[in-house]
Amino acid sequence: MKQLAALVLPPVILLGTTIALWGWMSAQGMIPNYLLPSPGKLAGALVGDRSVLLRHGLATTEEALSGYVIGSVLGLLAAVVLSFSRRLRACFFPLALATQAIPIIAVTPLIVLVMGRGMPAILTLVSITAFFPMLINMTRGLRVADRGYHELLHSLSASRLQRLAIVELPGAFPYLFAALRVAATACFINAIVGEWIGSNIGLGYLVVISGQYFKMPTLWAAIVVTAALTLILVGIVAVMERVMTPWAATEHGS
Amino acid sequence: MSAALANQPPLRARADGISIRDVQMVYRRGVQTTTALAGCNLEIPAGSWVSLIGASGCGKSTLLRILSDIVQPTSGQALLGGLTPTEARAERRFALVSQHAVMLPWRKVLANVELGLEVARVPKAERRRRAEEAIEMVGLRGFERAYPSELSGGMRQRAAIARALTLKPAYLLMDEPFGALDELLRDRLNFELLRILEETKATLLLVTHSISEAIILSDKVVVMSPRPGRITQEIDIDFGHNRSPAIRDDPRFGRLESELRHALGHSMGDEHH
Repeated sequence: MKQLAALVLPPVILLGTTIALWGWMSAQGMIPNYLLPSPGKLAGALVGDRSVLLRHGLATTEEALSGYVIGSVLGLLAAVVLSFSRRLRACFFPLALATQAIPIIAVTPLIVLVMGRGMPAILTLVSITAFFPMLINMTRGLRVADRGYHELLHSLSASRLQRLAIVELPGAFPYLFAALRVAATACFINAIVGEWIGSNIGLGYLVVISGQYFKMPTLWAAIVVTAALTLILVGIVAVMERVMTPWAATEHGS
Repeated sequence: MSAALANQPPLRARADGISIRDVQMVYRRGVQTTTALAGCNLEIPAGSWVSLIGASGCGKSTLLRILSDIVQPTSGQALLGGLTPTEARAERRFALVSQHAVMLPWRKVLANVELGLEVARVPKAERRRRAEEAIEMVGLRGFERAYPSELSGGMRQRAAIARALTLKPAYLLMDEPFGALDELLRDRLNFELLRILEETKATLLLVTHSISEAIILSDKVVVMSPRPGRITQEIDIDFGHNRSPAIRDDPRFGRLESELRHALGHSMGDEHH
């Protein structure tokens, strides 16, 4: 309990101070209200626009989560396939790494152009952002298992699939969750980037529209909701990791 | 396989023991060749206990790795109960216990002990029963639900032995199983292993660095020497089975110790020139 307080309290204090300072500066007229509304106005928008925020938030969540799951699963499957063949790995892995140099924002208009506006284009975009971190991490992760584990399974006459299930996949769990964490933050961001130009619904669309109509409190409320959604997903992944890797806790002597 | 060897009759005569015939192991790295094993011959009757002892680089671990089908010899033949190591592995006739008790850290002790049976697709209930039996045998009752990281080195090694026992192997191949443990613990586990061997009637081939461990756990100690790795001497240990810790006080024990130390000194002589 004390540890939890030590973890939570400092950032909460900083956040509280920042909001207080921001409120004071707004009241003093030091921050132009048309750019950044006061904390009170922002809170008002969160409450007043809640049905709008909920509708657009749900649409974004649906896209982000579906793309997250689709991309992660496909990335995992691709990594497993690559793990079976050194030759395939030699062909695909360097290119997979190279894709990380392509800014997703630059590709977004192309995807929307090809697939048209709407859900499929945004799903594709989000899936891509989850796919590559998973592929790259798991291609490494599936190969880190100790040689002793492989010799043990060999002496037990294990099949290739048994080796995958018993040694390689569990051994790659830290890499799996690292990829899931990276993709968790990226999937909401990219869903919103996709919505800017490719959708008539979602928080990204709401941000653009609110900006155009100078509804700054709504715009800022949409940003706050996006951040909250991302934090929730990151939290869920962290809890999943703890639950699914109970041995890790014993290894660090807690 | 060389032509000379192909002409030999298949070595199935001593069908149930371990048979090592003219086994040679040569590693090539570029133009350089290293002879890890030069023409080794060894017969181990079924149910007997044999130790391989010698300086590092004498090929004792290589011999064990050939028998457990991890590496293939350059020439010669190794048989377990008339089967090649590959056949014996497929039929799960032997179990390998290595120096670093290999435990999958994400499995609890029970699941680690069950591993061999799981891979062999033994039904779950039977798997559980046999694993618990083996855990009982090595004295690990009460630790079934612990993770390997929560065990001491000695307990992990017991768990590794339990895993080896679940498959009821005819041949137990052990590569310095107690090498990482302190002297007292090693001594205790040595005699526990003896009890288990008598109970299971398994044939033991043990690689060790310890002279006293070799005497306690063997009917025959095979002394090997490096460069090239070869067998230099075979010393019979005639304590019979059903040994107790009292054999340490037997005057023959001291004699065997000095005889072995002498034999090892000889085999290590060429290390210093």
